[in-house]
Amino acid sequence: MTEATITPAMLSTAEVARAYREAKAKRAKRAALLKHVFLIVTSLIMIYPLLWMLASSLKPDNQIFGDLGLWPREFQWQNYWAGWNALPVSFTTFFWNSTVVTVLSVIGNVISCSFAAYAFARLEFSGKTIWFALMMMTLMIPYHVVLIPQYLLFLNLGWVDTYLPLIVPRFLAGDAFFIFLMIQFFRQLPRELDEAAMIDGCSPFKIYWAIIMPLSLPAMATAAIFSFIWTWEDFLGPLVYLNDMEDYTVPLALRSFISSDGVSQYGPMFAMSILSILPIILFFVIFQRLIIRGIAMSGLK
Amino acid sequence: MAAVTLSEVRKAYGNVAVIHGIDLAVNSGEFLVLVGPSGCGKSTLLRMIAGLEEITDGTIAIGDRIVNDLPASQRNLSMVFQSYALYPHMSVRKNLAFGLVNLRMPRDEIDRRVAEAARILRIEELLERKPRQLSGGQKQRVAIGRAIVREPQLFLFDEPLSNLDAELRVQMRVELASLYNRLGTTMIYVTHDQVEAMTMATRIVVLNKGRIEQVGTPYELYNAPANLFVATFIGSPKMNVLAGTAAGGRAEIAGLGMLDLPGGISADGQISIGVRPEQVVIGAGDLTVSGTITLVEYLGSEVFLYVRLNSGDTLLVQAPGQSQYKIHDSITLGINSKEAHYFNGMGLRLG
Amino acid sequence: MLRFFRRNFAGYAFLSPWLIGFFLLAIGPILASLYLSFTKYNVVRPPQWIGLDNYFYMFQMDQRFWKALQVTFSFVVISVPLKLIFALGVAMALDKGIRAIGWYRALFYLPSILGGSIAVAILWRQLFNYDGVINSILRLFGGDGPYWLSDPKYSLWTLIVLAIWQFGSPMLIFLAGLRAIPQELYEAAEIDAAGPVRKFFAITVPLLAPVIFFNLVLQMIEAFKSFSGAFIISGGTGAPLDSLLFFTVYLYNEAFSFLRMGYASALAWVLLLIIALFTAIAFWTSKYWVHYENERG
Repeated sequence: MTEATITPAMLSTAEVARAYREAKAKRAKRAALLKHVFLIVTSLIMIYPLLWMLASSLKPDNQIFGDLGLWPREFQWQNYWAGWNALPVSFTTFFWNSTVVTVLSVIGNVISCSFAAYAFARLEFSGKTIWFALMMMTLMIPYHVVLIPQYLLFLNLGWVDTYLPLIVPRFLAGDAFFIFLMIQFFRQLPRELDEAAMIDGCSPFKIYWAIIMPLSLPAMATAAIFSFIWTWEDFLGPLVYLNDMEDYTVPLALRSFISSDGVSQYGPMFAMSILSILPIILFFVIFQRLIIRGIAMSGLK
Repeated sequence: MAAVTLSEVRKAYGNVAVIHGIDLAVNSGEFLVLVGPSGCGKSTLLRMIAGLEEITDGTIAIGDRIVNDLPASQRNLSMVFQSYALYPHMSVRKNLAFGLVNLRMPRDEIDRRVAEAARILRIEELLERKPRQLSGGQKQRVAIGRAIVREPQLFLFDEPLSNLDAELRVQMRVELASLYNRLGTTMIYVTHDQVEAMTMATRIVVLNKGRIEQVGTPYELYNAPANLFVATFIGSPKMNVLAGTAAGGRAEIAGLGMLDLPGGISADGQISIGVRPEQVVIGAGDLTVSGTITLVEYLGSEVFLYVRLNSGDTLLVQAPGQSQYKIHDSITLGINSKEAHYFNGMGLRLG
Repeated sequence: MLRFFRRNFAGYAFLSPWLIGFFLLAIGPILASLYLSFTKYNVVRPPQWIGLDNYFYMFQMDQRFWKALQVTFSFVVISVPLKLIFALGVAMALDKGIRAIGWYRALFYLPSILGGSIAVAILWRQLFNYDGVINSILRLFGGDGPYWLSDPKYSLWTLIVLAIWQFGSPMLIFLAGLRAIPQELYEAAEIDAAGPVRKFFAITVPLLAPVIFFNLVLQMIEAFKSFSGAFIISGGTGAPLDSLLFFTVYLYNEAFSFLRMGYASALAWVLLLIIALFTAIAFWTSKYWVHYENERG
């Protein structure tokens, strides 16, 4: 027997297993590669419009259309300057207005919604289940349905052309989404903490302030971030309640670019559009983890 | 230090009654343990004393004050929770001081008490840590510390040791007992672990389905259980129970023979005879029976034998650790009438 | 009495901002809107009771009402399923510890967070211009793009694409749902010789059904409510030829451009009922296809 012939039967089981493992690993690798290609292509398509807008904000008007490129041949920075002052009122005012409305709305939302959530999640009172059901139902009501009577109410109060219709409802826990989000969070905190605090002499308000709030900072931050983004982007509210350009918020001012009769100033328009979403993008980059967890947790918008 | 008096205390959630009229007097300076199977209402009762749960009916008095409508914080008591309930965002020092600050106690008095509690519980070097940096035993100590800094007249414990591993539990049990000896404050302690109950209590209350089955010292509960429930609940492993029929001073144990009841006990009709595993004699007794070993549990210091009797009953027998019994061995056992417990048809103790 | 007061005081104290808001800004307005829907009201003169006239007019004579319904329904029926399919596909590609998942997740979600902004609506208008980006790309491949914005045949697609572009939040919810499916089930299926397709339909879909259902309801309601995109892209009117006349846009114009508050209120109530109806249908049918594994209270 000088020639050794290797038959499959002679292969040791270990070798078979190794070959199998290798084949499997190779398959998995190829699948992962395919997945990555798919994901990269998709995310590029997703993000392309935004990059195009950024590029266009730096191009001269005549190079914007028909140009798919993302790198301007010449950087026209004055688009930003021109856009900032393109309307009869400067964007300084619009950004200030938006900031005022947004900051106050965020504060109002966090305070009033956490109050309501604390009551629902932690306190006992008669009628709680009914109120809770009603609160959940308001999640479904489209803003358009309450818009007209609310408008008439604020009109009679003389609040139209002020920021009150945009801010006061936020202090009345108008956004049930946030209440729901916070309830979910509060319920995860052990109830024995409240009880220990009760024995330690805390009133319900002290428990809210000294125990629940400090332990719910992630939930509060999530609500604050979403509240910020939604208020900053809000269009319908300002559209209905603000008529004087001096009072415009940024989204409303942006619209003036397209309604202002055919004068083509696309570069400045895109420049201001970019600036208008910049705070949101910054927030998103900084608080990305909180935002993504918040959505997974409550199924927010 | 204060006595606690419960009279006709009831609790119902909607229409579901969970505590049915409890009368109980806790003596001042006593270590009272509430014990019972899960769902017996022991925690509910404790929480009602604490003021965390409303009382549906009846009155609770601490000292000579009726506290039914007093909020928890004004009852001058402390409570240690099963989960410790340490405030996660506060340092150990702040956890200990929190209740005192709420009482607007002067700063130096707070510092003094915190230092004192930390010294007693040997947690001085942990004071600046957050609860999540502590081990289970350390958390437990902090929880106890938070209870003692308030120098209350009553301590409540809700299964405080059940989250600890076995070794630590034994250690904390010893520490709790010595803490009690040192402070001498009234303590009410809920547990489902009868070893804790037996070792620490001055008196034990056995609860079942929202009613008190028996109140007594550990000795009384073990040696003179008032009824079948207490008899089988206290003692581990469980007491053997055989069914019998009594006529005057004698009883026939089904399928096993006749047993003379000890002096002073006579009954007629259905009775139960209870014998603890360590009271079953190996060899002959007042009643001698034979059977086959079906299972041997070797524990080192002793051996538990499961013996299937000819009548079909199984007796659990404790034998010395050195004995060499094997499964399927035949064995002769004796029951002595003075060492057995007797219960009537209602399950109540005879004699 | 004292006890009752004390037991309820804290709860209602904390609830009071919401309660005030609920009565003044939610339930009050809904009822007021119901009343107004039976009136003719132009803000200047007091509301005038006209019974069901608004509704008769709406259903029998108002062509634009039917057009708005048709546009909105088309939008919902096309965009929601596409969006969910997209979201699920990407979520599945992202599932199971792929590298750089954080980056992908963030990139895919970014459009959703910007989607409601006017900036994006303005951008969209330009992308779909006749000489905009979309048509430039089509030309690269030798096609000739239509007048997306001014041809009523195509205009709705701009908004459908905009909606699909924002698949981020259902994707995140799907991702969380996929994570909750025990890996052992797939391993067991593999031992049972199930291929990828079979695994998808036999394990993923049934176990994900509650999440799919949740996303479906949520996205449907969102789609019915969507406004700013259509408003900006159509120049505020629903043009061209009312092909972008979303129900919300029509309602807004009736109320605030023509000050027909009574009629607009009637429209609002119809919208509310439609959304309620669709939600109810979703819940009602859910028991036939959504199985909750463990019913926890």
